[in-house]
Amino acid sequence: MWTQIRRHLLEFDDAVLTALDEIQRPYSLRCQVKPDGEVLALVLPAYVPIEAGPASLLFHRHNEQMWNLKSFLLRGQLLKADMDWRFQPEQFVPGVGIGGLLADVRLLISSRRRATRYLQRRGLARPRVAWDEFQTLFDSTEDG
Amino acid sequence: MGTAIETRTLSEALPEAVLTVLDEFLTAELTTLGKGDRPVTWPIMPYFWAERGTFFTFTSIGFPQKALNIRRDPRASLLFSDPTGSGLGDPPIVLVQGTASAPEAIIASAKDAEPLVWEVMGRQARRWIRRQPSTARYLSNRLMRYLMDWYFMRMAIIIKPERIIWWSAGDCSTRPETIEVTHVDPDPTPSA
Repeated sequence: MWTQIRRHLLEFDDAVLTALDEIQRPYSLRCQVKPDGEVLALVLPAYVPIEAGPASLLFHRHNEQMWNLKSFLLRGQLLKADMDWRFQPEQFVPGVGIGGLLADVRLLISSRRRATRYLQRRGLARPRVAWDEFQTLFDSTEDG
Repeated sequence: MGTAIETRTLSEALPEAVLTVLDEFLTAELTTLGKGDRPVTWPIMPYFWAERGTFFTFTSIGFPQKALNIRRDPRASLLFSDPTGSGLGDPPIVLVQGTASAPEAIIASAKDAEPLVWEVMGRQARRWIRRQPSTARYLSNRLMRYLMDWYFMRMAIIIKPERIIWWSAGDCSTRPETIEVTHVDPDPTPSA
């Protein structure tokens, strides 16, 4: 996991940290992240209302045309000692753009399988996609 | 803590710069909660339905985890923190905390959704296609249709805001502003 984290972390200036706040709702904010041994040191402002506990760090980017997508998620624990915040990663979850073409093909196959499983568990037949209707929807000149 | 406002007056209560972010950002970071309150955050394409003060996104049944999490625990948030492609310079960062729903309906054709929901899906897709016109061409390719049909089996995710927080300078190191949102639904949001 740490090999992956170290490899990809340097490509991002910051990350989206999410944890629960004082009323137990998910609270996200951007913060800087730096490896510090087997944890990640976080730069967080003093006012931040989040609590130590389950948390995630999302790293993602795309270009102006929504190409060159790259993302990964770290799931783990947010730790607090005095005013120092640390993140203890427990799981590296690759998103798009991680692992090259082979990973993209795997993602395509696994997504198709998940879709089939989703339908089977609900006893649903595979819906027939109305391609022409989607095409019309996409070609519409209505403001989008 | 800020003033409480009603969803139907959300557009009047939020600063123009915040509304522009909600309208123009191409992506937002959606958080749902897995078992044990473990947050799961992924980028999504948001749509702000200003007239109803409600947020929409759509996901494929090939990526159902967001919807499954929401059906188990409706707490969710949307962070608008990446302005890439929006054309905005130094916009605010906006966090929407709310209650989400993920109806079971699978939308693979217009008849599967209420007309307004189908139209919202169209508006969202057109924003994407404007930037990637080649994507629309793939739709007419038979092989792509076979390989990617699962992607067009869509599910709606609807987020009703309860608290909106924003950092005016786009810098989370400063203390943000907040408003609480009260829901008023004389004309309920379609379920899908």
